[in-house]
Amino acid sequence: MVYFIFITFFCLVGGLAVVACNPSPYFGAAGLVLSSVAACTVVVEFGGSFVSLILFLIYLGGMLVVFAYSVALASDPFPEGIWDMSVGAYFTGYLVFLVGFLAVFGGDSFFYNFGVIGSEASGFNVVRGDFEGVSLLYGLGGAGLVICGWGLLLTLFVVLELTRGMSRGGLRVI
Amino acid sequence: MTPTNLLMYSTFSLSIFGLSMHRSHLVSALLCIEGMMLALFITSATLLSTTQTTSLAATPIILLTFSACEAGTGLALLVATARTHGNDHLQNLNLLQC
Repeated sequence: MVYFIFITFFCLVGGLAVVACNPSPYFGAAGLVLSSVAACTVVVEFGGSFVSLILFLIYLGGMLVVFAYSVALASDPFPEGIWDMSVGAYFTGYLVFLVGFLAVFGGDSFFYNFGVIGSEASGFNVVRGDFEGVSLLYGLGGAGLVICGWGLLLTLFVVLELTRGMSRGGLRVI
Repeated sequence: MTPTNLLMYSTFSLSIFGLSMHRSHLVSALLCIEGMMLALFITSATLLSTTQTTSLAATPIILLTFSACEAGTGLALLVATARTHGNDHLQNLNLLQC
């Protein structure tokens, strides 16, 4: 289990290193997909299965599809991956930074002390903890639900106003 | 510091380095912001399951909602920039006249 967590964390950090080292947006979107799948796995291993399902559905199913569509607006004729010189230099630099960070702060307990004492790791449950917690959003925490819905409704009008075009939009040719 | 904490912090710091250092496309800057949101999400989700504080479980959901708002607004800015400037290179946004 500890080695599996190590592998998924490796995928998470590696995918975000690919995003961070400024490749073409195609490869950046692919790296973000890899790291979000790894993040779902990490959250499942720590016992938040419902939260992980929400992350998977909303993030991969909703937002990243729109991102992958929008990458077409930023198309390069010659896409540069991490094998190119500038991107590869950044990638190597980030990996060196990461290894140094782990060597300074990680200590000697890096491979065997992942701190897995989540609610999943402590036994068998009938009702998961995060199921109960999310159900608070429909009871005592109803104000949070209202605020979230209001934010999404506001975002709809913000997006409509920004992409209006012609001479009335929020962003226009001078 | 356990390695789990350490890797989450390094995930967040990698994303914020990538956002701040050298970006050529606006959409890859937005991808870095999404990476920061992902790091915050897994930090709060593992916090609630490690400490078994189940009433915290609404926090990642609310965070995900607001990040969806942020992603929608960012992509709308991307579309508007591609309309007015022709592409989304961040160098072009510094020009005084389009």
